Amino acid sequence: MALTLEQIRADVADCLGEDPADIPDDENLVDYGLDSVRVMTLLERWRREHTVAADFADLAEQPTVEAWAALLGVS
Amino acid sequence: MTTLLADGPGPASTAPVSVELPLTAAQSGMWYAQALDPLSPAQNTAECLEIDGPLDPAVFAEALRQVVAESDALRVRVQDSPDGPRQHVRAHVELPLLVEDLRAERDPERRALAWMRADLAEPFDLAAGPLFQHALFRVGDERWLWYQRIHHLVMDGYGYSLLVRRTAEVHTALARGEQPPACRFGRLADLVEDDAAYRASEAHAADRAHWTAAFADRPEAPRLAGRGALPSRTFRRRGARLSPEATERLRDLAAGLRATWPDVLIAAQALYVSRAAGRADVVLGLPMMGRMGGVALRVPGMVMNVLPLRLAVTPEATFAELVRQVVLGVREVRRHQRHRYEDIRRDLGLLGEQRALVGPLVNIMPFDYGVEFAGSPARARNLSAGPVEDLTVNVYDRADGHGLAIDHDGNPALYDDAALAAHQERFLHLLDRISGSDPHQPTAGLDIATPQELALVLEEFNHTEQPVPPTTLIGPIEAQAARTPEATALVHGDTRLTYRELDERANRLAHHLQSLGARPGAVVAVSVPRSAELVVALLAVLKAGAAYLPLDPDYPAQRLAYMLQDAAPVCAITDRAGRLPEDTGVPLVDLGTLDVSGRPWVNPARALTPAHPAYVIYTSGSTGRPKGVVVPHSAIDNRLRWMQHAYGLTGQDRVLQKTPSSFDVSVWEFFWPLREGATLVVAEPGAHKDPARLARLIREQAVTTCHFVPSMLQVFLAEPAAADCAGPLRRVFCSGEALPRESAHVFARTLPGVALHNLYGPTEAAVDVTYHACDPDGSGPVPIGRPVWNTRLYVLDAARRPCPPGVPGELYLAGRQLADGYLGRPELTAERFVTDPFGAPGSRMYRTGDVARWTEHGEVEYLGRTDHQVKLRGQRIELGEIEAALAAQDGVDGACALVREDRPGEQLLVGYVTGGADPAAVRAGVARELPEHMVPSAVVALTAFPLGPSGKLERRELPPPVFAGSGRGREPADAREAALTRIFAAVLGLEHVGPDDTFFDLGGTSLLAVRLVARVREEFGAELTIGSLFEAPTPAALAARLATAAPAAGDALGVVLALRTGGERTPLFAVHPAGGLAWCYAGLSARLGPDQPLYGIQARGLDDDEPLPRTLQEEAEDYAARIREIQPHGPYRLVGWSVGGILAHTVAVLLREAGERVDLLALLDAFPAEQWRERPAPEEGDALTAVLRMAGFERAGERTREDVLATLRRAGSPLAGLGDRTLARIVDIVPNHARMMREHRHRRFDGDVLFFTAAAPRAEDWLTREAWRPHVAGAIDNHDLDCTHPQLLRDAHLDTIASVLSARLEELDG
Repeated sequence: MALTLEQIRADVADCLGEDPADIPDDENLVDYGLDSVRVMTLLERWRREHTVAADFADLAEQPTVEAWAALLGVS
Repeated sequence: MTTLLADGPGPASTAPVSVELPLTAAQSGMWYAQALDPLSPAQNTAECLEIDGPLDPAVFAEALRQVVAESDALRVRVQDSPDGPRQHVRAHVELPLLVEDLRAERDPERRALAWMRADLAEPFDLAAGPLFQHALFRVGDERWLWYQRIHHLVMDGYGYSLLVRRTAEVHTALARGEQPPACRFGRLADLVEDDAAYRASEAHAADRAHWTAAFADRPEAPRLAGRGALPSRTFRRRGARLSPEATERLRDLAAGLRATWPDVLIAAQALYVSRAAGRADVVLGLPMMGRMGGVALRVPGMVMNVLPLRLAVTPEATFAELVRQVVLGVREVRRHQRHRYEDIRRDLGLLGEQRALVGPLVNIMPFDYGVEFAGSPARARNLSAGPVEDLTVNVYDRADGHGLAIDHDGNPALYDDAALAAHQERFLHLLDRISGSDPHQPTAGLDIATPQELALVLEEFNHTEQPVPPTTLIGPIEAQAARTPEATALVHGDTRLTYRELDERANRLAHHLQSLGARPGAVVAVSVPRSAELVVALLAVLKAGAAYLPLDPDYPAQRLAYMLQDAAPVCAITDRAGRLPEDTGVPLVDLGTLDVSGRPWVNPARALTPAHPAYVIYTSGSTGRPKGVVVPHSAIDNRLRWMQHAYGLTGQDRVLQKTPSSFDVSVWEFFWPLREGATLVVAEPGAHKDPARLARLIREQAVTTCHFVPSMLQVFLAEPAAADCAGPLRRVFCSGEALPRESAHVFARTLPGVALHNLYGPTEAAVDVTYHACDPDGSGPVPIGRPVWNTRLYVLDAARRPCPPGVPGELYLAGRQLADGYLGRPELTAERFVTDPFGAPGSRMYRTGDVARWTEHGEVEYLGRTDHQVKLRGQRIELGEIEAALAAQDGVDGACALVREDRPGEQLLVGYVTGGADPAAVRAGVARELPEHMVPSAVVALTAFPLGPSGKLERRELPPPVFAGSGRGREPADAREAALTRIFAAVLGLEHVGPDDTFFDLGGTSLLAVRLVARVREEFGAELTIGSLFEAPTPAALAARLATAAPAAGDALGVVLALRTGGERTPLFAVHPAGGLAWCYAGLSARLGPDQPLYGIQARGLDDDEPLPRTLQEEAEDYAARIREIQPHGPYRLVGWSVGGILAHTVAVLLREAGERVDLLALLDAFPAEQWRERPAPEEGDALTAVLRMAGFERAGERTREDVLATLRRAGSPLAGLGDRTLARIVDIVPNHARMMREHRHRRFDGDVLFFTAAAPRAEDWLTREAWRPHVAGAIDNHDLDCTHPQLLRDAHLDTIASVLSARLEELDG
């Protein structure tokens, strides 16, 4: 199943304990409490449920919903 | 098996030629650690990847070669330089790769792991490099183990994941014949630059300020092993795995708490550490990868940092609350995570003290290992995560769908395999329990012990049920008297009583007591010194059915009065009038005058049940008031029945009674032998403190059984005669304080064949509740042992849940031996005697306040106290009670007391006060209110108490009392002096003692004096008494005494008291004050130095019945003659304090009239006769005041000679050793001097007078030194000292006097 921007935002919001509506696309997620453990949690989930080639460093390098969408090949 | 060392030209290196860089702060820490122990392999990190599937080793080696070329850090070697260590990044390094095919081996994986373990023990050479090692083992047709070991200085856990991912990527491409994707690794130089930029930034300063503030109070790191240790060269590891299901439950729990699974794991570990280490303030170490959002994200290297996470863990808070604290705490840590761990420790001053900042580490490694090698999946296994200081819990999330791996790494210096396994099992168990329970309940409901451990400590270790008949303390004694009426029941000196005689005497008295209201439930006080009468009185009280309340005759009147009012006994038995305060309204039964011969000799009737109280014993109370413990018959009866079962006393046994009746050890001493037909040997009063007398008593009386407090046991065993006790003695019991293993060994050597039993128990549980037979070959701490009959022991943590074996907790006691509680103190009783949640409904347990732990064999080890109660020489002391007494003294604003152990094994009770009070006066004041064992050895005046940042008193910062020596250090003159200074230093626990330092000035106590004299006797084979130590209290003086082989000193009561005989100078003669003793000048001797001979002149009649002089003139003539025997001709030098001044003046006149020169007459606050003439002469009461003044006390409530003696004894004054007869003489000498002084007529002295005035305001404001004018032809050179008359010869004032005197003496000697 292809990953969508909405799915990314929903998963991010879920692991940060926030409402998806409160997660902007272009803000640094570290400021919202994103840490290495949560990055790994998301990565595992996306590897399990979608075909994802990116690794930890890729995600951690640019921690915004927008950047991740591009990285993960979401159009 | 094929072995091939693969190497060859790699792809073009992306690195330029060799580059030199400084180390980052993170690397520097590692470098210094390695420099401390260059051959240590502790900083090796390693991991093993299991690759399942086909793999081409040549392609793999090719991939590795490329990755090494891409990774600067792997090509580093580190060399020291004048500017500090530098790292050289080499352009190329050979690939250290071992490839082995182990398929032919029986157990290839095992073989491979053995090789890895051996390789892990090899240290890297930092200066040579390379700092990594690879191996590839083929362990199956399609199974490979890739091993890599890297020095921690160049790589951390996250770095490994980067290396592994890149290796897999390159390998996969090469295997498919493709060009590997471009390398995205950053450069090592970037890390170095980033580090330097951070350290120069404002963020660095802010981070530093954050950590310094957060840990300003320098909390103690929690220790699961109870202590710390330096990192070892290796570590112990125990691995476990959390199933995917359990991991999922953990994630769900975390999600429900808006946290992550690491938060839950950290909270669980904090909870475990808090309970197991007994700390509410828990500091864990959190390794942080430190790469989010930085250049380090793509640089394989060493970046990680350990940071402290501080949590408050209480049983009342819920687990959810604890997790929330972790979430917020970790967030805070993350904000300041770049400040280095080593820097925080240095900033806090912990480095220098070698103190730890954090307890166990929780190392969460969520590193991305989801890799494949050309389609072959891999799983990573960590083999070493670096040095382990204490305990590290490594948790790996490999994102590989196999759940969490958990490794417990322990420092082998602190944890053995069993301990490590126990910590891990309990932790996993706790996780399981946490994930299965409501996180919104208090954590008190979560046990840290496993169910197996709970069954062990609650049930198996406490199997003590034993049916006992419902009897009382006294019943079996009466039955025994009927069985063996003619057997010897009691021996005391020349007194010998059969069971019949003892029984009849006690019965007659019991009938009398019943006529005064003694009956079951009532209390009768007994204040009788150790004697046959004491035993009769105690039996009589019990026979009458009442509970006895022992009152130590040596206690201060104030305390006795308090206990009488508090306990409200129906009557109080004493041996003579004046023993007890008479104004408390309690009827007194005076055995000295009582005649009970008309009373029946048969057992009195009484409706006594085992539930009635048998005795009430007072113990120290923390709020300042002692409290009476009420012990029922059933409790003590159980105790004595168990003791008989365990040790089997027979009619042939003789049991020594030497413990004061106010301590509960005396209960079994008194009554156990009388229940079993044995003989009770009653020691003389005072004998219990004298080892030589005890040894003689044991031998002469063929004592088979006795008790020692461990500190007294040490003193006893040091007595040469102790060894002679091995014949009769069969068993010795110890209790009251921790028994050192060394003492048990000395015991076994000194008294071979005699059993030594260590017992433990508070008064609140009928004397003893645990027992342990000492093994002569035992080692480690001596346990207090197992529970006695019908007794359960619980070691509970802060949540009052059972501690597993090995984990310290507070000891609680339950079962038949519990006391009823505290007399008239229901609230205190409810606080200490609480509901037993593990026992039958309605049962109670007693909270001891003792810290203890179970051994795995079911014995208990005593570890210390939870509060400020201390044990000093076996006696229980609440510091709060002493502090209350100190604070109540005039001029004291604040007070604190503690037991110091500035030298091992020598405990000293010290009081600290603020305010203007004179410390000596404060000490004298509390000596009047507290029993001897509770009076501080020293009181130290402070301007302010040392406070920590939180405003709490820093007890650790309180200074040790300074017992000032002469300050005129010189080297010992000969071998004997040298040996003696050594012995003095050893006994006093000081580093250095000069030959002229006075024993008592340096903090010598009576107990230490006993020890010193024993040591001197041992080393010199010389006869020596405590009296000779007083006469010769310095190493030099003692050496002189030993050299002349002078006969053993008496009590230093002769007319001439040679304070120092050696020295070149003209002797100084110091004439006694009113009491006749010249001991007060002992301090002067040390201060005037070894060259100044000093003789005290003392009154006649102190040690014999010589008639007292009739006039001062006659007395002075006698003294002049004695002085001329020592020094036949002038010039003479004289000094005198008080009456001694008048005498010195008179002696001076006599010597002048004989044509001799007198070039010094020093008068210390002495006033001529006519000033006193019109004033009333003192009664005996004033004589007592004078005696007290000699010891440095102002008189308060002391009414009789006995009161005075008691005060002196309590204060540890050497005067107390004088005994009744000498004291009686002094009490005669004082008024005789007062009379003679008033009748004396001064003649004129034709020289100068050196005068010292005690200038503090005094009641006798009419005294003036100007009155000397008619009797002194020369000048009166006065020196004012800011003190009272009695304080003149003490401490700083004596220093002043000595310095003026010695200046004058030097002047005279030209």
